[in-house]
Amino acid sequence: MEHKFNTSLVSGFGPAQMLPDLKFAEMEAGFDCGGGTYKITAEEVAKFAALMGDSNKGDVTVPVGMIYIFGLRICWDRKVFLDGAVRAGDKILFHNPAKIGDTITTKLSIADKKEVKKEKDGQVRISKFLSVDMNATNQAGDKIVDIQMSFLLPKTMQ
Amino acid sequence: MSKINFASVNVGDALPSKSLAVSQQLINDYADICGDYNPLHVDVEGMKLNTMFGGSTIAHGTINVEPVLQAVCDIQGLQWPAAGTRVDLQFRAPVKPGFTILSNLVVKEKKTDAGKNILVCDMKIQNKDGGDCVMGTAEIICP
Repeated sequence: MEHKFNTSLVSGFGPAQMLPDLKFAEMEAGFDCGGGTYKITAEEVAKFAALMGDSNKGDVTVPVGMIYIFGLRICWDRKVFLDGAVRAGDKILFHNPAKIGDTITTKLSIADKKEVKKEKDGQVRISKFLSVDMNATNQAGDKIVDIQMSFLLPKTMQ
Repeated sequence: MSKINFASVNVGDALPSKSLAVSQQLINDYADICGDYNPLHVDVEGMKLNTMFGGSTIAHGTINVEPVLQAVCDIQGLQWPAAGTRVDLQFRAPVKPGFTILSNLVVKEKKTDAGKNILVCDMKIQNKDGGDCVMGTAEIICP
C-alpha cells in the first residue's frame, strides 16, 4: 500500500542527506534531520478544536493537541518517519503557548539510538530503535514544545 | 475547565478524566489536518485484507494521546499546559474506529521544586473495554 503524504502543508528545509540515506551505524546523536516552518491559521485551529472537542481552546491559544501537528507534517516532509517504522513513545516538555497567527519553526535531530536484545526459543533477536528530538519555536524564538519521539526502525533497517 | 487545588489533592487520587470517541471519520479528518494519509489509518477496504490489526484501520498514534493532553489543561485550569509540564508515554496498543478512549491520571507523588507545585502521576489512556493503549507518567505543574 502506498503511503501518501501532503507535503504542501509545510516549507521544509535541509539537510542534503536525509535519514533514509543513513545506515544505522551512521545515525549519530546530534545529526541534523532538517525542519520546516508554517503559519498557524484561525481556520485550522477551529477545525482541529471542533474535531477533538477541545473545550479548553481560547480565542488565541492553539489547542494543545496541535503540538503533534507541528511535528507530524515536518517529520513526513523530511522523511524522519520511515515507512514501516513503529512509534514506541514520546517525551513531551511544554514551554510557551502557541498562538493563532504564529509562524512555527520545527527542527529535528537525532537524540539517541539503541539496540534491544531479546531471547526467545533460544534465538537472540536484536531490535533497533531511534529517538529524534523535535523542537518547536515561534517567530520570536520562544520555545513552544520539545518532544523526543522514539520508534522501532522498519524491518529493512533492522 | 476545573482547576485543581494542589493542597486538596492526595497521593492515590484519580484526577479528572477526558475522553474521545474515535471514528473513521475523525481519523480521516485528522489526516486532512496533519497531512498523513498512511493506509494503516485511512484505507478501510485495503486494511480488511491485512491481518496485522484484525482487518481494521488504526488511529494515528497522536490521536491516542489527545485525552491526556486535554485533561492536563483541565487540571491546571489553563488553555495550554504550564511551562515545565512533562508527559512521558509509551504506545502499547492500537486504537481502532469505534473505540472510546479516556485518560486515567492517578497521583503517585506530590512535590515542590523551585517554587513550583507538581503532581507526579501514573498515566494511562484506556479504551472503553479497559485495555491500555498508552502508558506513562505525567508531571503536572499546578499554577
